[in-house]
Amino acid sequence: MIQNLISMNGYGFFVWSSFVITFFACALVFYKTQKTLKKYEKEFAKEINELSAEKRKLVTENSKIASQVLSSYSKTI
Amino acid sequence: MFSLLSASNIFYWIGKIIRFINSIFFVLLLVALSFALIFSPPDYLQGDSVRIMYVHVPSAWIGLASFTCIAFLSIVNFIFKIKNVTLITKSIAPLGLMFTCLAIVTGSLWGQPTWGTWWAWDARLTSMVILSLFYIGFIVAHKFISQEERANKISSIVAIIGLINIPIIKYSVDWWNTLHQPASIKLTGTSTIHSSMLMPLFLMFFVLLLYCALIFLMKYKTEIIRIKKKNLKRL
Repeated sequence: MIQNLISMNGYGFFVWSSFVITFFACALVFYKTQKTLKKYEKEFAKEINELSAEKRKLVTENSKIASQVLSSYSKTI
Repeated sequence: MFSLLSASNIFYWIGKIIRFINSIFFVLLLVALSFALIFSPPDYLQGDSVRIMYVHVPSAWIGLASFTCIAFLSIVNFIFKIKNVTLITKSIAPLGLMFTCLAIVTGSLWGQPTWGTWWAWDARLTSMVILSLFYIGFIVAHKFISQEERANKISSIVAIIGLINIPIIKYSVDWWNTLHQPASIKLTGTSTIHSSMLMPLFLMFFVLLLYCALIFLMKYKTEIIRIKKKNLKRL
């Protein structure tokens, strides 16, 4: 049964290549997108933390996004 | 109502939806792959090579749908100049390009055992290559034009011109003599594909759509943070 699944009655190379290429490309794009998102979140949180206390308070009070990124980032470290 | 559509609310819900999709994605993918590679029957003419359809057809659908979406949103953006629309089109374009290229590559892998050739310059295949060129034009405009407004304008023009290619791709198999078979699945009228193959096809399409939603939301979230980061520098 496994042999049949691999050989696909002689079409194994074409079928498996199609699936492997598709899912490899998907995994690569997922990895790159996630990496970029994490990088931006990290940089954004770092920039907020580097602000003076007064400015930081102003940013976190006025921007819910900033406070969300800051809290999610502090959870990961 | 409008507070629900605020950037911070959207940002909050994006996080929740990403977590939800992550939690169900791999189970659904496993089910879809099992149906596509094991449980669905081979074709009476093409044998097991028909299984390539389960990645080729959804990829082509997503490639076409993404570009149609980008083009219509570009028209909206051209008229109303909504910044959010630009963020959406910018987030969809790389996904659309990837799936268009996958449709071309998997189509080539399906072509060899079925037609006896990897490639032919026939109407359907050529129009799909042209679609990928329009995607590249759209992405390049955003990447290499530093002036944001100009980049938006040029990319919108590329997308609107590219819209002409969509019906050409769809009807190429009817308008010209091509190697590519006519559509087996029709929105109007009866489809010529058996339910034992149609169900895994739709399942795989749904899984790939979920994947697109996941990547789109992650890219959109990145774009929002990028803008907020820019605003922070102005303080």
